[in-house]
Amino acid sequence: MKSWSGYLFSETWKSIWRNKASSLLSAFTTGFALFLLGMSFLVSVNLRFIFSTVEQQMEIQAYLKKDISESETSKILEIVKNTGGVREVNYVSKEKALEELKAMFRDKASVLDTLGDENPLPASIRVRTEKVEDIPRVVGELKKIPGVVDVIYQEEVSRRLASVGRAIQIVSFGGVVIVGFVAVMVIGNSIRLTIYSRRHEISIMKLVGATDGFILGPFLLEGIVLGVLGSLVGSGFAAGLYVWIVQRVGSVLPFIPMLRLDFDVLCDMLGIVLVTGVMVGMAGSVFSLRRHLRI
Amino acid sequence: MISLRDVSKTYSENVRALFRVNLEIRKGEFVFIVGPSGAGKSTLIKLLYREETPTTGQVIVFGKDLQKMRRREIPYLRRRIGVVFQDFRLLEDRTVEENVAFALEVTGTPWRDVKKRVAQVISMVGLKDRKDAYPRELSGGEQQRVAIARALVRNPDILLADEPSGNLDPHTSIEIFELLERANMYGTTVVVATHAQNIVDALRKRVVELRDGVIVRDVRRGAYGS
Ligand SMILES: Nc1ncnc2c1ncn2[C@@H]1O[C@H](COP(=O)(O)OP(=O)(O)OP(=O)(O)O)[C@@H](O)[C@H]1O
Ligand SMILES: [Mg+2]
Repeated sequence: MKSWSGYLFSETWKSIWRNKASSLLSAFTTGFALFLLGMSFLVSVNLRFIFSTVEQQMEIQAYLKKDISESETSKILEIVKNTGGVREVNYVSKEKALEELKAMFRDKASVLDTLGDENPLPASIRVRTEKVEDIPRVVGELKKIPGVVDVIYQEEVSRRLASVGRAIQIVSFGGVVIVGFVAVMVIGNSIRLTIYSRRHEISIMKLVGATDGFILGPFLLEGIVLGVLGSLVGSGFAAGLYVWIVQRVGSVLPFIPMLRLDFDVLCDMLGIVLVTGVMVGMAGSVFSLRRHLRI
Repeated sequence: MISLRDVSKTYSENVRALFRVNLEIRKGEFVFIVGPSGAGKSTLIKLLYREETPTTGQVIVFGKDLQKMRRREIPYLRRRIGVVFQDFRLLEDRTVEENVAFALEVTGTPWRDVKKRVAQVISMVGLKDRKDAYPRELSGGEQQRVAIARALVRNPDILLADEPSGNLDPHTSIEIFELLERANMYGTTVVVATHAQNIVDALRKRVVELRDGVIVRDVRRGAYGS
């Protein structure tokens, strides 16, 4: 003889065990959906990390006209600093530019000898933006400033990065939605089998006056348990695959900055996956109960 | 306690199970519902615990019109009504004790109370020694006793039985009816649909006879046939 919660848990466990095959299938399908979710979370966290790294390196260079005066320069600097999306502004004077050039060609001093005492380099302003997406707009703004003769930036790189990022997010979101939908169906089916195998018991429960909530309890819990099992499977695989990819990429393409899977990121992923798993599980059971129990 | 007012039940176009039935059953009564197969006995029983609702007319139990009752009130109606069937309807994977306790467990009774009450009712139906047996290890009569114990475990105000001896031999049937009478002596209102002619004749209770869904006879201290 059991208390209510004892009843709830033992019934749930019994029915999962009784329908081992379909429970396993549900847990794995949900696991697959949640694996995709976990991966797409890790990918997007990573993209953000890569973006921000690249962004920090990505500079816009605005060259100033040759014979620019100091007051004009400071006016331009003021305008640039006040442009939206601009994070960092560095002024590079003619002299500084030359120094940098010399440093770059330290070993081949002869190349610079041909310049004589003349400094042919223009002064420039180096600008970094908050986000990659801001670059084209900031470039436009810079071009409009009088005194700025040319604006150079890595247009292709920034544009591609942004569109690749967007594409990956759309595709992975689509995948998550589709597989999530399948997971709801599969869990629903598992619950349906449980309802079928327990139909006799359910009819007696109704006969002796069990409330709908009491009858539903074990089924809802079963859905949730399947969802949680799926979450664990899914995040386990996602974390494993991710660690493997990071090692692979690290050894083959060491220049690509990738985020290590640290505790915080892992917790975030687990949290998102778990919450989604529970919701998928509940959705599956409610869907099935509505259809087959008319409660 | 139970009141049917001009009740008709039509399952489909031409299947008329009950037609303009009026019936009053008072607290503490013992009533037999008799009649040929298809007369509407089971339908009448089903109306009383709201397994079915009437097509027209009112079914009033405990002063409540069952048709107007909300869905979530139904469980509480059923907790006051015990029901027994011809086919026992026990759970095969549970022992006698567990089958009886089931009715209390699934209605959220604290388990301390469950244990005591289950023991009481099991000994009342005479199955104290078989409380750990599974239904398949019991005779038909014993299984029906378990079903009766489950129906009575909550001390219901009404006990409904639809051909409780339909699957039993005459001797065992008598024992089952003795249990129903016993419950009635403790104050439970009992309504039994049955074909057991000799028992109806012997017990001399109120008899309501149905034919083609119509009450053709309703007598105190009656017999199976008129
Ligand atoms: N669920 C149902 N759907 C359609 N028709 C039904 C249903 N239940 C009963 N009937 C019909 O209603 C009529 C009365 O049936 P009911 O079961 O009440 O008779 P009964 O008196 O209990 O018969 P028996 O003695 O054989 O058990 C019969 O004609 C039967 O076929
Ligand atoms: Mg019948």
